[in-house]
Amino acid sequence: MAKTNIVSDLLSPELLAQLERMELVSRKIFRGRMKGERRSKRKGTSVEFADFRPYVAGDDLRFIDWNMYARLDRMFLKMFLEEEDLHFYTLIDASTSMEFGSPSKLTYAKQLAAALGFVGLCRTDRVRIETLGTSLRKPGPILRGRQSVWRMLDYLNGIEAGENVPLLEGAKNFCLRNQGKGILVLVTDLMDKAGFEPALRFLSTQQMDVYVIQTLAPVELNPAEQIKGDLKLVDCEDGDIAEITVSRPLLDRYKRTLDAFVDGARTFCSKRGMAYMLANTEIPVSHLVSNYMRQRGLLR
Amino acid sequence: MTSLFINTLGPLGWTLLTLVPPAIIALYFLKLRRQPLEVPSTFLWSRTIEDLHVNSLWQKMRQSLLLLLQLLFVLLLILAVLRPGMEGEQKLVGDRFVFLIDNSASMGSKDAEGDQSRLDEAKARVLEMIDQMDSGDVGMVVTFSDRANVVQQFTDNQRVLASKVRSIEATERTTDILEALRVASGLANPGQSSFEEGDIQVAEAKPATAYILSDGRFQTITDFSFGNLQPVYIPLGTEASSNVGILAFSTQRNPDKDDQLQVFCRIARFGSEPSEVTANLYFNNELLDVARIALDPDDGTGGAQFDLGSLDVGQLRLEIEHDDVFPADNIAYAAINPPERAQVLIVSEGNDYLRFALATGEIRRIADVKIVSPEYLNGEDYPKEAASGRFDLIVYDNCVPKVMPEANTVFFGGKPPIDEWVFQEEQVLPQVIDVAQSHPVMNFVNLGNVSIYKANPIEAPPGATVLIESDQGALMTIAPRKSFEDAVLGFSFLVTEEDKTFFNTEWTKRLSFPVFIKNLVEYLGGVRSGQGEMSIRPGENYTFRSSGFASEVHIRPPSGRVRTIVPTADNLFSFGETDQLGTYEVREGSSDEVSRYFSVNIFDAEESEIQPKLEIETQWETIQGQETWLPMRQEYWKWLVVLALIVLLIEWYIYNRRVYI
Repeated sequence: MAKTNIVSDLLSPELLAQLERMELVSRKIFRGRMKGERRSKRKGTSVEFADFRPYVAGDDLRFIDWNMYARLDRMFLKMFLEEEDLHFYTLIDASTSMEFGSPSKLTYAKQLAAALGFVGLCRTDRVRIETLGTSLRKPGPILRGRQSVWRMLDYLNGIEAGENVPLLEGAKNFCLRNQGKGILVLVTDLMDKAGFEPALRFLSTQQMDVYVIQTLAPVELNPAEQIKGDLKLVDCEDGDIAEITVSRPLLDRYKRTLDAFVDGARTFCSKRGMAYMLANTEIPVSHLVSNYMRQRGLLR
Repeated sequence: MTSLFINTLGPLGWTLLTLVPPAIIALYFLKLRRQPLEVPSTFLWSRTIEDLHVNSLWQKMRQSLLLLLQLLFVLLLILAVLRPGMEGEQKLVGDRFVFLIDNSASMGSKDAEGDQSRLDEAKARVLEMIDQMDSGDVGMVVTFSDRANVVQQFTDNQRVLASKVRSIEATERTTDILEALRVASGLANPGQSSFEEGDIQVAEAKPATAYILSDGRFQTITDFSFGNLQPVYIPLGTEASSNVGILAFSTQRNPDKDDQLQVFCRIARFGSEPSEVTANLYFNNELLDVARIALDPDDGTGGAQFDLGSLDVGQLRLEIEHDDVFPADNIAYAAINPPERAQVLIVSEGNDYLRFALATGEIRRIADVKIVSPEYLNGEDYPKEAASGRFDLIVYDNCVPKVMPEANTVFFGGKPPIDEWVFQEEQVLPQVIDVAQSHPVMNFVNLGNVSIYKANPIEAPPGATVLIESDQGALMTIAPRKSFEDAVLGFSFLVTEEDKTFFNTEWTKRLSFPVFIKNLVEYLGGVRSGQGEMSIRPGENYTFRSSGFASEVHIRPPSGRVRTIVPTADNLFSFGETDQLGTYEVREGSSDEVSRYFSVNIFDAEESEIQPKLEIETQWETIQGQETWLPMRQEYWKWLVVLALIVLLIEWYIYNRRVYI
């Protein structure tokens, strides 16, 4: 029963049906460790044709294209693409600030991770979901195959907010644990007083295809509805205080600051070959996955 | 004296009011304890407010917008309490007001500002005063011309008062303030209104202020005490106003040539200008004659006579070409009435002297005389004729009817069959000591050379006038009876003693006798009113008898619908709707012919004298008019309150909607 609940919480059956037809796309082709369903740079034994090359002595005779030989009287070797698995990482920011919103940004991040992870599992990719605050000694499980969906959802369900780790530290820890190449989806609100730049800069140096999904709650995107009057704003993570009297110009100014922030992140990412996407928690995950992510090329 | 502010609060009120702004500020700072609100991150907020601190003063002001609005609201209220106003020391005195508005003819003078008439000006001022009334104050509106009219009884409803004032219309009547003052003081001085002695005063005396808005052109107020009524006189009109008015306009037959008409007019100037005016005479709206009339430099009057020759029945109109502020008196109306002859019945045994006197040309012109013997009184025709008013005058010479006829009567040597008339014991050789020559009947009648053998001194009913007084008592008396008059002579012209008839007096042989007879026929036959013009003043009653016993008459005023009136008893018609100036046409029964005209003219020097009097004189005191009219104080507190409410509304809106500038 519990498992059904988890499914319905994080992944709706309709979404599941949708996701089954999708696959994760990496803009870089990475070497995996096991034979999977991915084309590899390496030529191998899959059924997918890659190229011809002249026969050299010692090559496997099985791969000689006899038809070509009949036509040209020269020996060519047919080369096939090797198919291998893909390392797919989802890194969730589980800080207290992710608890805001309805649904909360964390739930949203979990749903997103579940959806993407499910796609990966269906394609027998190597899926690993971690949080920024995952300690070195307790890495998240490595999941493979459809049968691991329940484990993945179990793990996601266990993630709780409150891991207030600076972005940079979390990224470093993650990279220490996961040296390999692959796709990394970072789900965070990027609200780090120290700035998101060092962390992203660090991630960009890794040989990973990085997607940054910034989740923001309506209260952050559109504060006019909920924030009114003379207020003392308290930061939920560090208890920082900002005293404001809400006024039209202040709201306009906030809007400009927000736009500049989002724009800065987008520019920063695109400069470093990372994909950036802004997710409003009001937009359902299914919508985000089926529309935005396909447009962005993460899914196919 | 003109102060911008009027304090309306006592020390306690001010203390409380001045405590409000500090209280608001205190509450504001207490409330400023900002509500803590947990947010995901203050990251963006901190960034946002960082540069706001740069121009912090303006920002702070913006942040305290609600406080500022609240303070502004209180400030406006305080200002409103101070009752700011402009240019006005004019204040209403008391809490009960009687507005006495003169709407006589002279108030139609258009010499107020902006070509307005004085009445418009008066109405405007009263409206201003009504506007100044505090709630609970009561006001009453009375107009007065030749009569008073209570337009609105005491009420505290200012809207009703104002609408009633607006509905006041000008009249062409003369001015008499006394009645209006009596009405006004009736409520202020209950004692004055209770005439019967021993009347217990139930009503409490209520002091009131009487605002008299007039040009002051009325008689000195006599027999009136203001008592609790405090009069305030507001003179209207400008002193510089000059006016030319017609004071008299009449037609008369040329005494030399019988069929010719003469028209006389008298014109007066009030003010310094002009020295000469042009008068145009119209007959039935066609120009008939023009005259230049010089006005006397000293008393400003002038007159003219027009010889018109033979004219048919019609309407005459005299217009003065003078552009003044009071045009109503520049036109006068008169009418040439159809000749109306007196119907006279003489009941006599045959008196030659009487017959001769009635046969003069003058009497033949003005009267149809029928002479009958005393037996006629017992005939069939007489009772009908007497009862129907067929004759204007019946002369009983040495005889007496059984009942008095519906006509004027003259008795020679007889006593009317009425108890009040008493013949005293016969006296021999009474000496005539006085003749009332001022009475029309005795005009030009000289009895100095007349002696009388025997006569009965007369005791007459109340209201009688003695015409011939002797050392033995009244020898001739005229007394009213209903709408008629009876003249009784205490002696006859012939006496019979011991079967001899001889003259009782030699008056019949004197020259004064035919004059006396002519006077009788002219006066009691109603000839005088029938001959020339009839002019009355606006609003006066016009009474007349129809010549043909009509059951109704139709009167066409100068404008408006035709009125139909029916006679009262004894064939007397009375018409009261004479407010319009002009000539009225009277038609009898179903006849199309105009049977008579009468004219309504102002003809009043008091009204034509339009220069306002600056004071009202009463028997005991002189009420000075307020020389200069200061506009009523313009109060702004209402606007301030409205403004304060708007500020409050804005404050409320901003507070609720969080819409900030």
